[in-house]
Amino acid sequence: MKVKTYMSQEGILPRGFIEKVRQVVGDEHFSQQEGDLISYSLDYWLYGIFLSQKGDLPALPSAVISPASAAQIQEVVRCASEYKVPITPFGGGSGVLGGAIPLNGSIVLNLQRMSRFLNLDGLSLVAEFEAGVMGANLELELNNRRYSAGNIPQSLYCSTLGGWISTRAAGQFSTKYGKIEDMVLGMEVVLPDGNLLSIKPVPRRSVGPSLKDLFLGGEGALGIVTRATISIHPLPKLIIKQSFIFPSIEVAVDVVRQILRAEAKPAVVRIFDEAESQRYFPKIGRKVTVIFISEGETEYTTLDARVIRRISRENGGKSSGEAPVNTWLQKRFDIGLGPILMQYGGIVDTIEVSALFKDAVKLYRDMVAGMKAVEGVLEVSGHYSHFYREGACLYITFAGIPKEPLRYYQDTWDAAMKATLQNNGSISHHHGVGFWRLQYLKEELGSSGVRLLKSIKSALDPEGILNRGKLIDGGR
Amino acid sequence: MAEDKKEAEKIARCAMCADMCKYSCPTYLATGRETLSPQKMARLIVYDEKDLLEDEKGFLDLMFQSALCGACSRHCIYDDYDLRKFIHKARVKAFDSGVIPEDVKKRVETFRKFGNPDGEKELIDKGDGDTGYFISCSTHKDEDLFKATEKMLLKSGVAIRRFGGGDMCCGAPLYYAGDMEGFRQVSLKMKAEIETRKVRRIVVDCPTCVKMMTEIYLETGVELDVDIMHTVQFIEALLKQGRLGFKKEDRVVTFHDPCILSYDLAMSSLPREIITALGFNLKDPVYSEEHTHCCGAAYGAKIGDHRLKDAVTSMRLKELRNTAADIYVTACPTCKSVLSEIDMKYITELVAERIIAKR
Repeated sequence: MKVKTYMSQEGILPRGFIEKVRQVVGDEHFSQQEGDLISYSLDYWLYGIFLSQKGDLPALPSAVISPASAAQIQEVVRCASEYKVPITPFGGGSGVLGGAIPLNGSIVLNLQRMSRFLNLDGLSLVAEFEAGVMGANLELELNNRRYSAGNIPQSLYCSTLGGWISTRAAGQFSTKYGKIEDMVLGMEVVLPDGNLLSIKPVPRRSVGPSLKDLFLGGEGALGIVTRATISIHPLPKLIIKQSFIFPSIEVAVDVVRQILRAEAKPAVVRIFDEAESQRYFPKIGRKVTVIFISEGETEYTTLDARVIRRISRENGGKSSGEAPVNTWLQKRFDIGLGPILMQYGGIVDTIEVSALFKDAVKLYRDMVAGMKAVEGVLEVSGHYSHFYREGACLYITFAGIPKEPLRYYQDTWDAAMKATLQNNGSISHHHGVGFWRLQYLKEELGSSGVRLLKSIKSALDPEGILNRGKLIDGGR
Repeated sequence: MAEDKKEAEKIARCAMCADMCKYSCPTYLATGRETLSPQKMARLIVYDEKDLLEDEKGFLDLMFQSALCGACSRHCIYDDYDLRKFIHKARVKAFDSGVIPEDVKKRVETFRKFGNPDGEKELIDKGDGDTGYFISCSTHKDEDLFKATEKMLLKSGVAIRRFGGGDMCCGAPLYYAGDMEGFRQVSLKMKAEIETRKVRRIVVDCPTCVKMMTEIYLETGVELDVDIMHTVQFIEALLKQGRLGFKKEDRVVTFHDPCILSYDLAMSSLPREIITALGFNLKDPVYSEEHTHCCGAAYGAKIGDHRLKDAVTSMRLKELRNTAADIYVTACPTCKSVLSEIDMKYITELVAERIIAKR
């Protein structure tokens, strides 16, 4: 191969494994073609994308295997176990922490052929899909039937349901509709020993620890999610958009805290710092802007919007109408600036962390200051993207044009993680761990936490077949 | 040179995007193959340009596995970019190096022999008037559509010169094969055929013919001095004149948006207005209008790769069947033919039954 790999070399697959797997999935769904190996070499880990411009890729899979059913996946996993071949599950390839990079000469198990809409139960408000369905296609199917899942991440158009589950994802409308762990009622998982685990969809159960939580954030290292039943919502009858300008981040965060304490349930709440406000809303300029979307049944929505308006005004918020919300709705999937900056040698990435309200503002100040101190920085900006009664998710975007890209990337991440841990925050809110965040895991979980997670991995996957080098270095 | 650099920057950007359009790509959805998603196609094109690929033949083969339907450009986050141009450029490279898929080669040979992609066919040239009706290759094969069109044109009261068949073709098969010199010759021939007939406007059933004549010919320096309109625009004029008879129908119609009609010609609402004006109830599939999916013909009939056609066609048939409509209608004769399993009709066939003759 002319392309270069910088993290692991191509593996050599045992002939017996190739023959068996070809029989399981069919010849045309087993590939070692150059085009396929390059296409499944990387997800959306942005430093990797930056390096990919010149043909430098983190790793190439030994093969790409595309099953069409859970039964085929079971067979492939059994073969992999027999021949000690590591497997990297690949959904939409939109993960930003390298969770789908085929390290250690692994094969890629491509889940994109398993993308069917299976059924919808309007009475119980649940729908079932195969895990490889793309978020946008899931929403199109539901919207056509006048429902929505309410999970609208920025990656809606390129991430899958299985990816949402495996990274423990959250969408932009999460304050009302919840995060993926609130949405998944049941799932089907192929375990590392090839057995199938079916967790039936029920509203709640009290039968020991929740098994589905092993896979909500399991990152494909504990099992391969093949289908899931999720909660759905009728499309809203009323949508009210509001925005307010506040004198500082401190005031804005406290206003949102008060609003949630008052039991309002907006679908979208976002606080933009001065830099992001300038970028998103040039007419407003460098001011702290907060947008709200309330939606649902008419009566509740009207009341929700009224509570938001009253508390915002009582705290000095100046209304800026619907326009900023509409602008955000138009721009929210536009990731176009990143690739342009990278073309000019820019390093760009985002980091999302969470903290209680008592720490949320200091965390923002410390993170931004720490990241701005790194040599080569061009911009560090932030917004709070998801809220709870107890706290928030802080989402920081950074860009730099450094002399030493890897040093800058590592130092900026280190500064962000240090500030997060010092302010009692969690190192990840919804992007997961992948391989890149693995380096900070011990500080997040502590030695006992890491040991526990390793024990779980070893118990489920003693040979370390599934997604080796991600989430946790367990197994063999 | 500066223009080349600008173009190179555009595709390099696409190669670093998160593939935000892939959910709309029928090839990707039907195959579940990341390699055929727009951003990965772009990455491979960039790598090929940088001489980073070893398997040149494999790369060129992939370039024929695209519908070139335009879904990706319609849903692109960059508004000045169309990946199809780069895939097409790679096809030109493949054609010039003689590395094109076998079925593509065969169709090009047929085209060179007969002047059309299908083989020997009767030349039709009748009627007169300054409005022309160009019989596309796909319409020529469709007796029901042909009869319905004759009926509609006759009742419209417009004097129309009908011509097509023989060695007359818009040249799309050569364009999609990457044979640009062949395509330029065909576009010049088409220009001459039109000028001979002294028409001022031409009605065409096939959206691809319209795209070729209004957009792609210009890329080869051929400009037609006539107005080209798609059949739904001609029917729209009849509708505005109150010439379509309304009859309340219980039957449900599902309209399949042809990809080129929706993505390139931006005509999604017109056919729906016409169907509703005739009195039918409309029911759209999940993937319609700006989310429509190619019927699969772009791989086979318009030249691409026949290996993908069945997967894409069967996906589209399933999507359409889900509406459980009484009648399926489209506005592309190729789509009609490819989706014939669900008894697809061309919109003219509905209109011909209801048109009120001019007195």
